[in-house]
Parts: sequence; C-alpha cells; structure tokens
Amino acid sequence: MAGNVEDFVNNVRNLTAQGHFSQLCDYMNKSWQVLFKNMCHLDTALEALDLQEHSLGMLYILYVKVSMLTSSNASAEEFEQLFFQYQLFVTQCISSQVQYSTGNFTQMCHIITQELCKRKMAIRGIRSLCIAISKVQTEPSQLTSLHSDLCQLCLDSKCFKPAFPYITVEISDIAKENGWYECKHFLSYYYYSGMIFAALKQYGRALYCFEQAVSCPATVVSHIMVEAYKKYILVRLIVEGEFLSLPKYTSQVITRFVKLFTVEYNELVQAFYTNDPSKINAVVESHTAVFASDKNLGLIKQVVASMQKRNIQRLTKTFLTLSLSDVAARTFLQGPEEAELHLRQMIEDGEIIAYIDQESHMVSFYDDSEKYNTASMFKEIDKQIQNVTELDRKIANLDQNIQVNPMYVQKVKTISTQDEDFDGGLLSTSSSSTSTSSQPLSMLSSTSSRSFNMLSKLMFK
Amino acid sequence: MATTYVKKTLNVAYYQEVHNKLIEAIRSSDPNLPDVAGAVNQLPSLDSHWMEHTSKHAGTLLEKLDIDLKNYKSNSIKESIRRGFDDLGSHYLNMGDLNNALKCYSRARDYCMSPKHLVNMCLNVIKVCVYLGNWSHVLTYVNKAEATGEFAEKEKEGQNQHIITKLKCAAGLAQLATGKYKPAAKNFLQAMVDHCDFPELLSPNNVAVYGGLCALATFTRQELQTHVINSSSFKLLLELEPTIREIVFAFYKSQYGRCLTLLEETRPNLLLDIYLSAHVKKLYAQIRCKALIQYFSPYKLADMVKMADAFNCSVSSLEDELMPLILDGQIQARIDSQNKILHAREIDHRSTTFAKTLAAGREYIHRTKALILRNAVIGNNICVQPPSKNGDHGPNTGNR
Repeated sequence: MAGNVEDFVNNVRNLTAQGHFSQLCDYMNKSWQVLFKNMCHLDTALEALDLQEHSLGMLYILYVKVSMLTSSNASAEEFEQLFFQYQLFVTQCISSQVQYSTGNFTQMCHIITQELCKRKMAIRGIRSLCIAISKVQTEPSQLTSLHSDLCQLCLDSKCFKPAFPYITVEISDIAKENGWYECKHFLSYYYYSGMIFAALKQYGRALYCFEQAVSCPATVVSHIMVEAYKKYILVRLIVEGEFLSLPKYTSQVITRFVKLFTVEYNELVQAFYTNDPSKINAVVESHTAVFASDKNLGLIKQVVASMQKRNIQRLTKTFLTLSLSDVAARTFLQGPEEAELHLRQMIEDGEIIAYIDQESHMVSFYDDSEKYNTASMFKEIDKQIQNVTELDRKIANLDQNIQVNPMYVQKVKTISTQDEDFDGGLLSTSSSSTSTSSQPLSMLSSTSSRSFNMLSKLMFK
Repeated sequence: MATTYVKKTLNVAYYQEVHNKLIEAIRSSDPNLPDVAGAVNQLPSLDSHWMEHTSKHAGTLLEKLDIDLKNYKSNSIKESIRRGFDDLGSHYLNMGDLNNALKCYSRARDYCMSPKHLVNMCLNVIKVCVYLGNWSHVLTYVNKAEATGEFAEKEKEGQNQHIITKLKCAAGLAQLATGKYKPAAKNFLQAMVDHCDFPELLSPNNVAVYGGLCALATFTRQELQTHVINSSSFKLLLELEPTIREIVFAFYKSQYGRCLTLLEETRPNLLLDIYLSAHVKKLYAQIRCKALIQYFSPYKLADMVKMADAFNCSVSSLEDELMPLILDGQIQARIDSQNKILHAREIDHRSTTFAKTLAAGREYIHRTKALILRNAVIGNNICVQPPSKNGDHGPNTGNR
C-alpha cells in the first residue's frame, strides 16, 4: 500500500525535476484512486515533497485530503490541522505550477470556504483566499470562481473591506479553470458583490452588479437570478425612483418568467409609483413574511425612506415657497413638525437646497447652485473623460480582436457571398457569439466617440 | 322601439336579446308606479311567430346563397364568385353573425379584379371590423384601400373623394378607439362634408365632434388655426355642431373659462356616444392641460388667483393641477405658494447641458462596462442551463 504512495511521490519528483507539468497532471489524474485508498499515508507523502518545488504534486494530495472533509465529519482538531496545511500551501505555493491545475486548486478552496462558513469561522479564510486569487489569476481583471467565495466569506463575517478591491475591479476576462468554472460562480459573484455594495449603501454599484447577475445569458431561470432580480428591483427604486425594464440583451426566459416569482415585489413597485407612503406600507405589511424570508426587509425600509425623500425633492421642483403644513399635506406626513424634521435633515445632507422661515412657517426652495465652473468640477469632468477614453481603447481592442478572428472573417465572407435576400435572416439566426457580439460592439463604439466628442467639446467652451 | 327596428333585419338572436333586456329593464324599475305597471301590460309579447319565420327564411336564403357560390366556384368565373361572397357576407351581416360576415368579405379579396372592387371589399371589411371593435384590422384595411385607391384616382376624381372620406373617417375612428388622438384628429379633419355619408358607421355631426375634440386635445395653437379654424372643409362640418364650434373658437380666443364650461355642458351628451364615451375623460383632461399651458405661455409672472378665476376652480386645486404639469416639464415654472404667484423659470442652458452630458457619460461607462463583461461571458460560454446539462461543461470552454 505504502509502496504505491512512494511511487507516486517519486514520479512527482521526477516529472517536476524534468519540468513536464502537463504529463504530471495526466499521471496524477490517473492516480486519484491510489491517493484515496491511502489516506493515512498522505501526510508522510506531503512531508516528503518540498512546497516550493513540488507545488503541483502537493496540490493533488491536499485536494484529496480536503475533499474528504465533505464526506466525513472531521473533528475541529483535524480541521484545524488541515486548515493550517492549506494556509501554508496557499501562501507559499508556486503560482506557475498551480496554473496547470487551477480547477483542482479552486475546488479545494471552495470546499474550505464551505467548511469555514459551516463552522462559523468565515473571517479566518479571507486572507488566504485573497492570496489564492492572486495565484490563480493571470491578470488582475480576470474573474475567477474564488471571487465569489471571497465575497461569501466577507458577507458571512460582515467584514467587507478585503473584498472591496476585488469587487470594484473591472472584469474583462473570466478564468476557464480547466472547465470547472460554472455560471453558478459568475452569478453568485455578482449577487454577493451587489449585496456588499448595498450593505455599504453604494447603491449605484450594487445596481450594476445585480444587473449583471440578472442579464446573464440563460435558458432557464436560476434561483440566484430570482433573488438578484428581487434586490435589483429594490435597489433600482432607491437609486432611480422607477423601475422600467431590464437591459435589452437579457435572456427571454428571464423577462418572461421572473415576474411570476416576484409578485410581491411588483406590487411594491406599483405602490411606489403612487408616492403615497400609506399604500407602500400596506404592501410591505401584507407581505412582511415573504420579504423577511427573502431577507430584504432592510432594503425595503430604504425604499420607503427614499420615497419620502423623493416626495420632498419633487416639491423643490414645483414650488418656490410653501408653508410647512402644505409640505406635510403634499408629502403625506403627519404634521408641520415632522415635515420640518425631514426638511432639516435633507438640507443638512445637501439633498435639497432650501431655507425654513420659522416666523411665517414658510419654506423657500432654491435651485441647484452648481454652475459647473469650479476647478473641482473641471477635475471631475476630466476624470470622466479619461475614464471614457480608457474604455474606448478597450472596446477598440476588442473590436480589433473580433475583426481578425478567422472564424468571424469566414462568417462575414460566407454571408457576403449569399444572396442579399437571405442576408438579414442569416445574421439574426447565426448563433455564433462572434457575429452577435460584434454588432453591439461597433454600435457602442460609435456612441462612445459621440459622447466623448460631446464631453471634449464642452471642455473647450 | 329597438324591437321593431330589429325586426326589419334578419338578426333573430339579437331580437331575443333586446326583448329580454326590455323586460328586465321594466321589471327592475319601480313596479309601484302606475304608468310602469301599464307599460308591463303594453309590453310587446315575444313575437315567436316572426322569429320562427325569419330564422327559417334566413336559413333558406343562406342555403341558396351557398349553393349559388358553389356553382360559381365550379364555373370558376371570378367575378361571380366575388359577388357570391359579397352577398353571403351581407346576408351574414343582416343575421348579426359578424365573424362569418368578416370571413366571407375577406375571402372575396382573392377574386377581386378591378381596384374598384378591391376598395369596395375593403370598405365592407372595415365596416364589419368596426362593428366587431377590431381596430387594428380596420387600420390595415384602410391602408390597403388607400394603396389601391390611389391609382384609381386618376380615372375618376369626383367619385373618389367620397371613398377617401369614408376611409379617413374609418381610420380616424380606429385611432380614436385605440387612444391615438392626434392621428385621429388629422384623419377626421381630412373628411369632406359633401361626401360624408357613411350612415353605417358615423354621421357628419359625429365627425365634427370627434375631429374637433381630438384636435383641441392634441394640436398646437398654430396647427389648430391652420387645420381647424381656417380649413374650409372642416368649417362646414363644424357648422353642424355649433357647440363644438364654439368650444374650439373660445379655446382659440383664449376664453378658457367659457370653453371649459361649454365642455362641461356637453359632457353628458358625449358620454352617451358609442365610440367616444370611453375617451371623454382623457380628452377632457388633455384639453384642460393644454389650456393651462397656453394660458401661462406668454407670462413671466402670473397671479394664481386670476388664473383660478379663468379656469373656474379654487387656487389650491389649481396648484394641484399645475404640479404634475411642472414635473412633466410641460410648464417651465414654479409656484410661489406664499404670494400665490406662478413664476416662469429661466433655464440655464449651460448648466443643464453639463448635467445632461455628465449623465450621458455615466450611462455610457455603465453600458460599456457591461458590454466588456458580456464579451467575456459569451467568450467563455457561460450560460444558465438546466441542471442535467451542467455535468458536461468540461469540453466546451470557449469557441473563439
């Protein structure tokens, strides 16, 4: 028995020394059984290998050990020991070797994450997971399945800071991870990061994240999407005060069926449009159980509060002066005192510009005094322009990639040789991702230059 | 009265319905009153003899027509087949079977030889569709008829006016029913009074009322002047309905109070109208909004007390009415509730442009980010799939 493991260790050593990592992977993939049968000898095998030199080999052994966690109920002590080994491995392993088997590496991390959450020690895994991400990634803008794990740990431990750099980065690539990357990870990454942003009250970013989760290509509706859609509705009401529709490219299944799962939320949207707090409160009360079980009560409270604010902001647009009691009547508040309280808070927060005249009990509203001629505004605009140019460059790159893609060129060729009558039909029916994605690309890049031109023209005014 | 009218036609089912309704109506009113009690006695008894007779008659006629049609078909003379279908259609119409009538009329289309016949067929179909309330169908057939009508125009100018007016009326009616008031108004305004005899659908008076109200609700002041007040043909139509004419003129002369009171007076009449009743409320609201906007347009400051006077309402209700208009941006103004004065707002175009541009920039960044991400998603073939398929995700990692 032990001999098999010895063979394994020797093989790992030889192949690593020769640098045949692909062969090593093949060999180890074949020897899963051997490792599983010899659980007791794995520790000795680990000791026999050097972390810096034989990272790949150790990864396989560790993975086997970790995967046993799910099947057997390991005691706290055993887990501690294993967790220590895991941390040591993650911090010191060689990234270039791990790259050969990212699938197994990430699977191992997933299991550890689940275990940590189960044992209520989520916060301990954050640091090692950050390191793990850096080992798996080929570039910082690459999304790995570990991202979603990290977000989950951060959410579980209510410690959002470490995840921040990972959820603010712009994703431009997704790791393949030997085919282990699933849409589940993608969805949960955006769902979790949306939740983190919502918890930090950065609703604009949260909205973006939920939107990505909802608009992911789909042939069926997943639970994560339904939950994301619910939160998307709420956050959208907070940010924009209205809920119109999903992005155009959202899969049809979603637009068609997701409404069936979110009846209560649609009612809430309708109540929101009435601008009447009593109506929205009635909806909230009648569905409290549903909202509570979805754990969305906090967000819903924010929605109600934002409606209140919107009511007052609407007044500033229509009135120059208004008595406090009128303010209360028009925003469905209890009385002048409450109206004054709300107004005072909003004035302090800079959400409206107004003055309260205590003597006559009148409120005077003023326009936004922003004249767009200050240095800070200039700087802000400059930053935006740079942002846009940067994005424009990226798009141009992507567009170029598509233009030179042999598959795309071939496709265009075949289409152009067809009769013109069939042209439109072919374009719309062709399922190839190249042709379908290139159309919005070129379309957007044209709008990009337009908005960029607009901005730059304004600058020179 | 309705019963005697229905008797003239062959619509047996409808006769029965009318009769039942009549009995119900009389029963539901107070039976204690002497004259109602008398009315029950006078109630025409259900004319079963007539019913039997007509249904029999209709049946034989239908059979005859059907056989005729079959004969025509076997002889395959297109003209006769068309006429056969037409006859069958009008017979169905008389019997009140609208769906079958529509079927027959539209089937006749394949056998139409001359544009005149085609237009005729379209008119028939339009008529039935209006009865059925199938407005989108009406519009498509109007378009069809117009397309064929155009080349017939060269041949005989005079008669064509007549058909065009009919078509315009039908189109206007359909658009009115679907709530598109502006195109409806335009269509009604093109109707000619001399040629406006379309007794199956609507009278010239109706055209005047519908056209006038829709135009009031949707046209700008200038459009109102050129198309309604200075339009020689529509003027004649308006003469038929003096109240509507007065309303339009009062509106144009900025006598809003008078205009609105007149409107209120005619409201019960209009509510009884078969086509218009559903839209009266919306049209009235639009007319009122337009009046408010026009009233304020020349002013920089307006006294709200005087304004409320002009519109026959209280100041506070005026405030309530103004609020949504201001929020919609239809009136560029703000209310000084303390002094009851409406201030026109000056817009700083530079600031708004800046604000708009910044918003557009943000939107663009948002969209572009989503696009780049989506590119990555599609490139990696990420797609939510049924669980059964999730097992074999291994090999299909990207096809680009």
